[in-house]
Amino acid sequence: MTRVVEVPAHFDDRSFDQFAGWFGDWPSEERVLVDARGCQWGSPYGLVGLLTAGQALVEAGRERPLFTVPASDDVRRYWARTGFFAHAAELFEVHGRVPRSAATGPSDVLLDVTPIRASGDIHEIVGKIQEGAARILTGELGIEAKATMGFAMALSEACQNIVEHAGTSGWVAVQAYTFRRRLGRRVVVIAVSDAGVGFRRSLESTQAKRFGDRWGDPTALEAALIQNVSRFRDPGRGQGLAGIKRYLSRWQGKISIRSGTARLAIVPTWDEDVPLVDHLPFFPGAQVQIVIPAQHAES
Amino acid sequence: MVQTISLQTVLREAVATPYRDLVTRATGAAVRGRIEATLALADWTVTLLDFSGVDCLDLSCADEIVAKLLLAAASRDRVVVLVGVRDDQRDALEHVLAHHRLAAAARLHGGDTTDVLGWTSGDARHAFAALRAHGPADAPLLAARLDWTLERAEVALEDLSRHRIARATGGVFHPVTLP
Repeated sequence: MTRVVEVPAHFDDRSFDQFAGWFGDWPSEERVLVDARGCQWGSPYGLVGLLTAGQALVEAGRERPLFTVPASDDVRRYWARTGFFAHAAELFEVHGRVPRSAATGPSDVLLDVTPIRASGDIHEIVGKIQEGAARILTGELGIEAKATMGFAMALSEACQNIVEHAGTSGWVAVQAYTFRRRLGRRVVVIAVSDAGVGFRRSLESTQAKRFGDRWGDPTALEAALIQNVSRFRDPGRGQGLAGIKRYLSRWQGKISIRSGTARLAIVPTWDEDVPLVDHLPFFPGAQVQIVIPAQHAES
Repeated sequence: MVQTISLQTVLREAVATPYRDLVTRATGAAVRGRIEATLALADWTVTLLDFSGVDCLDLSCADEIVAKLLLAAASRDRVVVLVGVRDDQRDALEHVLAHHRLAAAARLHGGDTTDVLGWTSGDARHAFAALRAHGPADAPLLAARLDWTLERAEVALEDLSRHRIARATGGVFHPVTLP
């Protein structure tokens, strides 16, 4: 038997829960087919989430999942351009024609889909992204030049959560695009995802007792994102997410973290998202999205 | 004695690759380990940590290097001063120092500006600037220079002294040495 998991036509953080719901009990005993044929657009969050699903199934010892590529030429080309298919081929049995990727000068892809396995990977991406980030942040988003380093800092701290807490590797992608539905402005989006233990298990040994019966995915996210708590006893820990929040508050940015069955967000005034959602379909590890909007509407 | 340590150089030695960014906790710990090894053999009392040539500084790395060196320095009668600090690096440093209720004197990149970063009052920052501009002073002299009450000057100087940004000799406060 094969379990078919449909990739939503517009695949982003909002439709991600629909995608997660197709998996049923995790990990599925049946072989999984991830069907992206009907996908018309995939956000960086969607792309790193797809790879996380494949990785989690492989790491759980399940049969290698199947993946059918999008029917749309444009979507396939764009996903190839982000490097998605190269990584997908290592995790999925890919079916369908995959175009060769060709990077052709500056693009909206600030950082290809990139694996994060160790701190050296974070050095590489921070070094790589600064020029492109400066171009987009100052040129398109109207953010002052010195904020570029703050952006690199936020990216670094988001990726370090994988190295420090996940217990396995993960993925990051950074892209600029126009948030037509919610904002009508250009944004830069950082998406980070891993197939690891998730926030609840990471913090359980030090925090579960404090929360008592309330302990679960939502309270674990609250401890990490709102209270800046870390599983380490070192008093210097827990500053990474606090630093990201501080940077985002300066530029009306948004951070949301999904882990297990909950999602918690710091929601700026331009967005209509709810801060906390619980009882979502389970998905392994943690998925972080950081959005930095243009400071002025597009003319 | 004063010794300058180039973080760019230590970074290169610690990670053996030409990175220019002080990012990740692992890198910060490796850099701090090298600096501590150097300090263990040294007979100087003031260490200038030079950020020139460093690009991005993230909070984890700032915590591992600067906060932990300052915490260690406090128990060993040593002073750590930050130099060549850019504006964006200042943000990260202010954040981690305030987190630990630490403070340090800093010379900012590309200018003569010297400031106190971290967990200090506005008065302590003014007092430090006055000591730098007009020379060492006791509390009455500082109060007179800034048109403050004596008590206010005493509190500000005590704050600087506690953070080892000024050193008292016979009741007279000397600002920490900067290049």
